[in-house]
Amino acid sequence: MDPGDAHLRRGAVKMAIITLPYRYIERLAGTDRQTIIDRIPMIGADIERIEEDHVDVEFFPNRPDLYSPEGVARAMRGFLGLEEGLSAYTVRPSGITFSVDPDLADIRPFLGSAVIRNVNFDEEAIESLMALQEALHWAVGRGRGKVAIGVHDLDTVTPPFRYVASPRDRSFVPLDFEREMTMEEILADHPKGRDYAHLVENFDKFPLIVDADDRVLSFPPIINGELTRVTAATKNILLDCTGTDRKAVMTAVNIICTALIEAGATVETVTVDGEEMPTLAPAERVVSVAECSRLLGLPLTPQEMARLLRRMRFGAEPDGDSRVRVLVPCYRSDILHDWDIFEDVAIAHGIENFDAALPATSTVAQEHPIPALAGAVRSVMTGLGYLEMIPFTLTNERVLYTNMQRDPAPGTLRLLHPISEEQTVVRTDLLPLLMEMLLANKHRELPQRLFAVGDVVEDCTTYQKAAAVSIHPSADFSEAYAAADVLCREISLSYTVTESADPAFLDGRRGDIIVDGRIVGVFGEIHPAVLGAFDLEHPVAAFALDLRAVPGYPVPPGTP
Amino acid sequence: MTVELTLNEKKLLVVLGSMGSADAAVLAEKMDARREAVVQYANLAGERGLVDVEKHVSRRYTPTEEGRAYIGKGLPERQLLESFEETIPMRDLQSHPLAKIAIGWMRKKGWIAIRDGIVQKTGATAPGPDEAAFARLGENGAIGDGVGVADLAKRGLVQEEETVAYTVSITPRGRELLSQGLDLQEEAGTLTREQILSGEWKDLPLRRYDVTKLPKRAYPGKVHPYQRLIDEMRRILFDMGFEEMAGGIVQSSFWNFDALFQPQDHPAREMQDTFFLGERWPLPAGYERVRDIHEHGGETSSTGWGGTWSAEKAEQCVLRTHTTGLSIQHLAAHPKPPVKAFCIGRVYRREAIDPTHLAEFEQLEGIVMDEDVNLRHLLGFLKEFYAKMGFETVRFRPGYFPYTEPSVEPEVYVDGLGWVELGGSGIFRQEVTEPFGIEHPVLAWGLGISRVAMLRLGLRDLRQLYRSDVEWIRETPTYGGGR
Repeated sequence: MDPGDAHLRRGAVKMAIITLPYRYIERLAGTDRQTIIDRIPMIGADIERIEEDHVDVEFFPNRPDLYSPEGVARAMRGFLGLEEGLSAYTVRPSGITFSVDPDLADIRPFLGSAVIRNVNFDEEAIESLMALQEALHWAVGRGRGKVAIGVHDLDTVTPPFRYVASPRDRSFVPLDFEREMTMEEILADHPKGRDYAHLVENFDKFPLIVDADDRVLSFPPIINGELTRVTAATKNILLDCTGTDRKAVMTAVNIICTALIEAGATVETVTVDGEEMPTLAPAERVVSVAECSRLLGLPLTPQEMARLLRRMRFGAEPDGDSRVRVLVPCYRSDILHDWDIFEDVAIAHGIENFDAALPATSTVAQEHPIPALAGAVRSVMTGLGYLEMIPFTLTNERVLYTNMQRDPAPGTLRLLHPISEEQTVVRTDLLPLLMEMLLANKHRELPQRLFAVGDVVEDCTTYQKAAAVSIHPSADFSEAYAAADVLCREISLSYTVTESADPAFLDGRRGDIIVDGRIVGVFGEIHPAVLGAFDLEHPVAAFALDLRAVPGYPVPPGTP
Repeated sequence: MTVELTLNEKKLLVVLGSMGSADAAVLAEKMDARREAVVQYANLAGERGLVDVEKHVSRRYTPTEEGRAYIGKGLPERQLLESFEETIPMRDLQSHPLAKIAIGWMRKKGWIAIRDGIVQKTGATAPGPDEAAFARLGENGAIGDGVGVADLAKRGLVQEEETVAYTVSITPRGRELLSQGLDLQEEAGTLTREQILSGEWKDLPLRRYDVTKLPKRAYPGKVHPYQRLIDEMRRILFDMGFEEMAGGIVQSSFWNFDALFQPQDHPAREMQDTFFLGERWPLPAGYERVRDIHEHGGETSSTGWGGTWSAEKAEQCVLRTHTTGLSIQHLAAHPKPPVKAFCIGRVYRREAIDPTHLAEFEQLEGIVMDEDVNLRHLLGFLKEFYAKMGFETVRFRPGYFPYTEPSVEPEVYVDGLGWVELGGSGIFRQEVTEPFGIEHPVLAWGLGISRVAMLRLGLRDLRQLYRSDVEWIRETPTYGGGR
């Protein structure tokens, strides 16, 4: 499971936050603001902040149809029982045609289009449309790569339109500029060009949309032309959605068209290479009532299930005794599977209205042997007076190797894109991290005896090590030896000892722990140069042990 | 008066009885003890009103290394002045080893005039207060404050030392007690084996200890407070009959993403959010079923994501972004019901580190697979688990996770904070379970336990868990306190 989504929000995987102006949403939804604020979390959203004239709401990435006040109002009307069932959208032909250049097949092959008439734009409505466009660019378009959306003032250009693969030196006036630029100049000098150049710069030709008079409407997915800028005076819109995935392109077309219809506009089709689009028609699914009841633990009749689905704005009618025929609105791109429909049944019923219950499932608990061994190490080391530490697993080669006077382990994993110089590799040992802990606690009372038990990684194999350090004026070889010995004895590890050559320790005061002819651990007095590298001022007695040597340690499974 | 004096206090009173008042150093000599010890006895007796202790702080000045070099010879300017008669060519004077320091001082003090390269004594060369002080220093080894001393200190010829002396005087009450007679028999500290065996202990005057004085603190070896919380959660899950899972930190994208029906172009799979490694790992046998699910939904009612699924992309290794990859591998290995399993493990996100965001942290994950388990049972497990963790009030809202359907967000009520989102949960999508032959619903929930640790341990900075202050661990009680 992924409870760390708070973490995701800061990265590229941010959530869509939609602004709902009260006056507008109240009119569209037909209810008051308090009802909206109270009920909206129960259709799947987080209230981000409540302001005087609007509320900001965060919707999930699988519901781009809720990324506009119009889409939210449509869902709320159903959820509140004000208007149920499918919103039927009708389209008429515009007679406008669009051709797609076959040379775009390897560049950006898919085009979706529509004509939207009688739009009534004030500043707020334009802003709302721009916000929807941006949210769709992120959620459906994957940063414009998969889908990019352009809206144009239809009355400034002349159909038919052509979507072509153009030479890179073709020039036009891009949005927000006053002079003509070549498409290559746009990639280098226009802010949007710089942001999105990576999507097209490797192609010999660039995508371009022109009208009957060869005037430029758009350079998708980068920037529109200034020519077709949408203003408060715009009455009729030409929509273009281009991309690399046909399904995603049509999702964007459907969401924008239906949102604008909800706002009072009408939609007309465009003929793209002979195909008339959009149809805005629902898809049909026939689903099993019993399967839904079983999944939700909610006994349902076909009638009840259909009623609940109509509240979620599906078309739904019982189909015999055991099925429901569902019409899925064209904007619901998240419905991939019957269970997606069952989730909407649960939401309509109210997640808060389910009775929590424990199943009769009978199982026996079983501790995993690796955490069990770690627990034994903890018990021994705390008995010896050591404090446990839980160091980071990400570290760097300076701490891991340079400071320890050791050569890098050959199986050290390096992050391809580290986020800081402090965290560039995965730890192969715990001892250096404990040395770092001693440094961090230099101002605290001595003696300090610290240990850690946990995962290290070499090549792609994760396994457990244990390590301990003791710092005080009389820490010595014997203390390290005695501690290593007692841990080995207590975890039933028979071993022999030879003099060690580990450069992290002082010559003549270091020993290797040998099991079956293999070095599995080391103990002794830390080398004064290593103490210096960690800025420590007292002797340190230390040991480290590879726990794979312990009898019964499970063979690592064949992952990754 | 029933005062229990220590033997040392009694001895001090006896010595003071004849002297009345004396310096602590003198008393130390008489009592054959260290001066610091005598001061300690005197303070004890002072608290009982038997003696007065007066503290005198005095400053004195001792020569620095440079100062010592001039003792007996005089300050450098005096030495240089005496090295020639009335006049001397500047060039000759400059060859003197002390010339560098001394010529400046001679001019400053007006002892010489220089004209046309010839140095001439002015006649006003009487020793100033600094020289007088320096002479006293030579005689006594140290000097007190006085005229000229500050000049010597400024030149770095003497250093200040603070000395503290104590004068101890017996009070009338002390005399009264002394006149009553004191028992000076030695008190026993630690009992010896012989004293215990022989019965001698019965007649020994045993030293009494002051129960209000805490001895030097002792610190036990301890399990880390965060590990104790982790073990508490493990215990709860064992009590609920769960089996523990563990596995590798490095996972292929196949297990971390693809097997969980995360589309290959999902933003979480970009390098901004996930730590990718250069290593690759071969796909498991039967990976084609996962490919088919992605491309067209395989044999389920799903449409899949469409497009072309890339095996190459699935082979890229990552540091696991969740432990769910372990859950699906566990289920693939145990496809028959029932399965109840959990895992607590470290997961990785490519995050800049700050007090509430870390690039690595622990996650707890539980799965339940059985015939006929359903959404109500998922809520049941969540309620039970959170209640055992001490969060009695739980509510549920719709949620979204790419690999569950339905998905539920549990929230718990925390005093002072209100409703806190504490994890995610849902039922694994059929697109996740079907390719591995898992035929029954899988309930799953996860919990970022570093968040729970912050609530329970009262931390403001998550880094404290992983780069801990020894003092914090020493002071965090092993039992209670954290709840």
